[in-house]
Amino acid sequence: MANQPLLQIKNLTTSFRIQDEYYPAVDNVSLNVNENEVLAIVGESGCGKSALALSIMRLHNELNTKLEGEVNFKGQNLLSLSTAEMNKYRGKEMGMIFQDPLTALNPLMRIGQQIEEAMRNHLDLSDAEMKARSLELLKKVGIPNPERTYMQFPHELSGGMRQRVVIAIAISCEPKFLIADEPTTALDVTIQAQILDLMLELQEQMKTGIILITHDLGVVAEMADRVAVMYAGQIVEIADVYTLFRNPLHPYTRSLFNSIPSAAEGSDRLHVIQGIVPSLKNLPRTGCRFSNRIPWIKESAHESNPTLHEVEKDHWVRCTCYQDFHFPGDAEAEKI
Amino acid sequence: MATPAVNNNNTEIEKVKSPSGFKIIVREFIKDKVALISLILFLGIVLYVYIYSMGLDTKEVTRVDIFNQFQEPGPVHWLGTDYGGRDVYNQLILGARNSLTIGIAITLITSIIGIALGLLAGYYGGWVDNVVMRTVDFVLVLPALMIIIVYVSIVPEFDVRKFIFIMSLFYWTSKCRLIRSKALAEREHEYVAASKTLGTPDWKIMLFQVLPNLSSIIIVNMTLNLAGNIGIETSLTYLGFGLPESVPSLGTLISYSRNPEVMENKPWVWLPAAILILVLMLCINFIGNALKRAADARQRLG
Ligand SMILES: Nc1ncnc2c1ncn2[C@@H]1O[C@H](COP(=O)(O)OP(=O)(O)OP(=O)(O)O)[C@@H](O)[C@H]1O
Ligand code: SF4
Ligand SMILES: [Mg+2]
Repeated sequence: MANQPLLQIKNLTTSFRIQDEYYPAVDNVSLNVNENEVLAIVGESGCGKSALALSIMRLHNELNTKLEGEVNFKGQNLLSLSTAEMNKYRGKEMGMIFQDPLTALNPLMRIGQQIEEAMRNHLDLSDAEMKARSLELLKKVGIPNPERTYMQFPHELSGGMRQRVVIAIAISCEPKFLIADEPTTALDVTIQAQILDLMLELQEQMKTGIILITHDLGVVAEMADRVAVMYAGQIVEIADVYTLFRNPLHPYTRSLFNSIPSAAEGSDRLHVIQGIVPSLKNLPRTGCRFSNRIPWIKESAHESNPTLHEVEKDHWVRCTCYQDFHFPGDAEAEKI
Repeated sequence: MATPAVNNNNTEIEKVKSPSGFKIIVREFIKDKVALISLILFLGIVLYVYIYSMGLDTKEVTRVDIFNQFQEPGPVHWLGTDYGGRDVYNQLILGARNSLTIGIAITLITSIIGIALGLLAGYYGGWVDNVVMRTVDFVLVLPALMIIIVYVSIVPEFDVRKFIFIMSLFYWTSKCRLIRSKALAEREHEYVAASKTLGTPDWKIMLFQVLPNLSSIIIVNMTLNLAGNIGIETSLTYLGFGLPESVPSLGTLISYSRNPEVMENKPWVWLPAAILILVLMLCINFIGNALKRAADARQRLG
């Protein structure tokens, strides 16, 4: 029991129907999240992070999305559940925090009512008990005047306050597992730090397993226990946070690190990753998806169908040719 | 009319309604005196017509009395009588009641059908959307007016209820389209997904979250629609394809003016009905426009 991961994703593929054809936005992803662990998922815009998160909660419109593989939560495959059964997990066992706290709150409902929504769905509480619990939650997430906020509408709150409310809603039934999809991207920098601190504090208190989606490596360093790097729907590297920061191996991971000022590897020049994430329809289906963004690497160095390899304990990297990878200007230096 | 009852059963609807939305509407009416007067006038007419007509018996009012033909307005018949010697004032009240009932009923029924189907189509999308929208397309290609006219001519004892039925059958489509397109946009808002992550079932999200967010659009649309629906009844009846003389409506009264003699020399028969229609239409349009501005203002305030 203790060894069983809280969430275990096995070969998950999420395909969207675009004009009568299915295109995978998440491609054969496998990963685990343990209790009391923060797993960060990083990657560029459009690489499928949100698609993965929404698949775990099964929030995609099922009429034009195909989910394959398994999402085992406490040993139960969520993908095989009916919607009604799934609703017993949502909000109770697992919760989600969205990127933009303004749109994640219903503009016409009072904050109190929105906090009570999950309790009403899952717990058998009286109105007074729900209210007491809501006020307690608001206090817990650092709202200065819970009584007042309880009666307010979303547009009466600041962005930071709203995100606190969103967090209060997500943890209202004390779920064991949370997904936070870029929870601070829509906030300004000082507020970002406060919200992250709050999340970390709550996580330590409640021993929640968290998937934290972000493209900010600073946030990863501060929050995560382990990191998965995603590119074009696939995981290209996964390792615990120390290993990954000390020894990033995959060309894409290294490009990411090299493209932020503080962590830039060696040279004082910033690396800009060439090109963009290919759109779903233009994704190469065979061969390596990243090769066209590092054109200076010889064709022969790429694996034809890269798979994940465990290079050291719990450090997985897609493809073996990372051994030959170098940045354009560094080629000579590496030879010597 | 039916709305307060619904709200009583469903306190939830009332709770989610933002008071700020209601306040904005009040502010808009206070600012716009024409709309305010229209609202008071309209409600006054509606109340008067429904209360007064409770004391009237349709059979009595529409009984032909040859000896009283075309009496001019006077103390006994203070809007005169028509060619059958029937009191115009009483017919006007009954007619207004019937026309209003028809307009309101068609508006309510088409709204319920249009909102229900539009919401389902927009919220679920996929094949649900396809089925609903193909049905809408099918109804739209039918020659509605022709079918209504044929139906009116072949159905015996045509009355208010049958008229409402046949009209509602065709006039829900534009509402369905409107609600569908709005619901389609609304479901993309993250609060819908957020609600799902809390384990709230789809029907509850549709009814208590998406629908209230569309309420201002629905109210504006229904108001402006009411004017249109009263208009359709009147014009069909005027053309002779609506209600028979035994069921007075504003249309039947105005249609007497098809007789040139009445048109020129007996204006008391048709003029009051024509004026009443005009006043009702103008009132509803002013009210609708004020509501529309309030809805837009609320959108701006977010
Ligand atoms: N419902 C959908 N239907 C069709 N394609 C979709 C859908 N949702 C996402 N996609 C596509 O799937 C790919 C992955 O999108 P996703 O939103 O998961 O990216 P992301 O990694 O979350 O990006 P960001 O950092 O900008 O949030 C994109 O190419 C996107 O266009
Ligand atoms: S083949 Fe390997 S090194 Fe080359 S782009 Fe693909 S994953 Fe990267
Ligand atoms: Mg995203």
